[in-house]
Amino acid sequence: MPIIEAHNLSKKFGDRLAVDDLTLEVDEGEVLGFLGPNGAGKTTTIRLLSGIIAPTSGSATVAGLRPDREPERLHEVIGLLTESAGFYDRLTARRNLEYFAGFYAGIDAGLQVEKYLRLTGLWDRQKDKVGRYSKGMKQRLALARALLHEPEVLFLDEPTAGLDPEAAQELRLMIKRLSSEGRTIFLSTHNLAEAESLCYRIAVIRTQLLALDTPTNLRQRMFRRRVVVQLEAIPPSLPDAVSKLSFVNGISQEGNKLQVDLVDPDRNRPELVKCIVEAGGRVLEVSEEQHSLEEIYLSLVKEDK
Amino acid sequence: MSYRRLRNIVLKEWQVIFTDVNSALIVTLLPLLIVGQGVLYIWLAYRFGGEDLMGSGLVQNALQNLTVAILSVAELGSEDQLRVLLLSQFSFFLLLVPTMVAMNFATFSIVEEKLSGSLEPLLATPVRTGELLLGKALSGATLALIATWICAGVFVGATVALGWGSLLHVVLSPAWFISLFLITPAIVVLSFLLGVIGSSRARDAKSAQNGAVLVVLPVFALIAVQVTGVVWFGPLGATGLALGIAALDVILLRMAVRLFRRESIVVNWH
Repeated sequence: MPIIEAHNLSKKFGDRLAVDDLTLEVDEGEVLGFLGPNGAGKTTTIRLLSGIIAPTSGSATVAGLRPDREPERLHEVIGLLTESAGFYDRLTARRNLEYFAGFYAGIDAGLQVEKYLRLTGLWDRQKDKVGRYSKGMKQRLALARALLHEPEVLFLDEPTAGLDPEAAQELRLMIKRLSSEGRTIFLSTHNLAEAESLCYRIAVIRTQLLALDTPTNLRQRMFRRRVVVQLEAIPPSLPDAVSKLSFVNGISQEGNKLQVDLVDPDRNRPELVKCIVEAGGRVLEVSEEQHSLEEIYLSLVKEDK
Repeated sequence: MSYRRLRNIVLKEWQVIFTDVNSALIVTLLPLLIVGQGVLYIWLAYRFGGEDLMGSGLVQNALQNLTVAILSVAELGSEDQLRVLLLSQFSFFLLLVPTMVAMNFATFSIVEEKLSGSLEPLLATPVRTGELLLGKALSGATLALIATWICAGVFVGATVALGWGSLLHVVLSPAWFISLFLITPAIVVLSFLLGVIGSSRARDAKSAQNGAVLVVLPVFALIAVQVTGVVWFGPLGATGLALGIAALDVILLRMAVRLFRRESIVVNWH
């Protein structure tokens, strides 16, 4: 059941179109990866969906609420991790969280602050001024802030940008944990590996929505499935024999590796292997060519140029 | 409007202000400097320009207005009349304190949010724009009012120290109290709102303050019109002035709320 819905959502700043006719749905409990180049409209979309800014046209609902009509009610049920951590540097981490927690009704601010300081591993540094925190610590604190009121939906705007690999990994583990708790996560990121490891579906945006699907479906849609056969050696007659098969669309050779385009890879694979063996080939491994999310992303973004 | 949220904002604002040396000095030292300077000018004017001043047409004109506004002045000797005239300017001079404190507070508070990037996460909480502005205004206004009233006390103390304490019953006229308790709060709101408007347009604290500092010009104009004898603000005039400023506050409040739109702040303030 969708918890985030956007219908023909558009946003213009003056003459500049930042988001154009965006329609998407995110199911409850899903982690959606939101990808796109700089200036593609990712942050604007998050701001639109979280009720920070109003759309020029179109509409959205998040957790059953219209972000443009009842932002204050919406903010009770969503959490937002903004691009910049945004803390008061001269106040302690604990005081910062207490301040933000003070805006939510029906929570025990003290308990929630303690819970999330512990969860993000910042309990021992709670009395430090935020100005002394590293970027990674600030991001963890920002995540803690976004969770203080136990939101159903989390919008994370490039949470690992600029973090060292260890800090980024820690944050990813936290996001995984939050996802396993059943929260819906809308994750904007530049990190494709991160998106692939955390997200069930991927949306690619460049002002307009270019694609929205699981990485597997996107691969199948965008690239032909090619079977890769690793041989001990390729006998001279082998390529000819393979290319004569009726279900083979094309063939290429790279060292002792044969890459074959098949009409139906799942059904045709046994026939292909039989043919290779009969032609004198000694098969070491048969696999399917894997396209990375990066290839999918770059291909989508290039297509749109 | 939630009292709990307003209290939350006010307490945080005070904490942030008093953990920054510059802003803490603006709230504490600047008012005392303004008062010290005012008292010093009055004393210098009397000590070194007393006789010349008495002969000046402007002063004679102002004294005439003063004796009409405060009847008991007529019973004083000419030297005491001059002292009362000079000391009476202080109620308007004192308006510089709430003006400077509130305006500095507003620009510091909003530009600080803007620079630290804390405004967007703040606007992602259930806080309303009105609550945020009111909370900030209350925290700044309270400090500005307290600073002004302390400064008024310092002024009274300084007058006694100068040996002019016997004139206080004349100087502390109804108009003086109207200025302190009606005009001052109205000026605080005016200055704060101008600070908000300046900050919403500016890219940094300095340019915000440069723009908003223009609010001191009307205060100087008030001093000038009274000291030159053009107008003397008696109780009625002072009340009218307070109401006029309050009306201006309402207009400026509308402007400030319009300029303090979440969208323009989040999108343009980077």
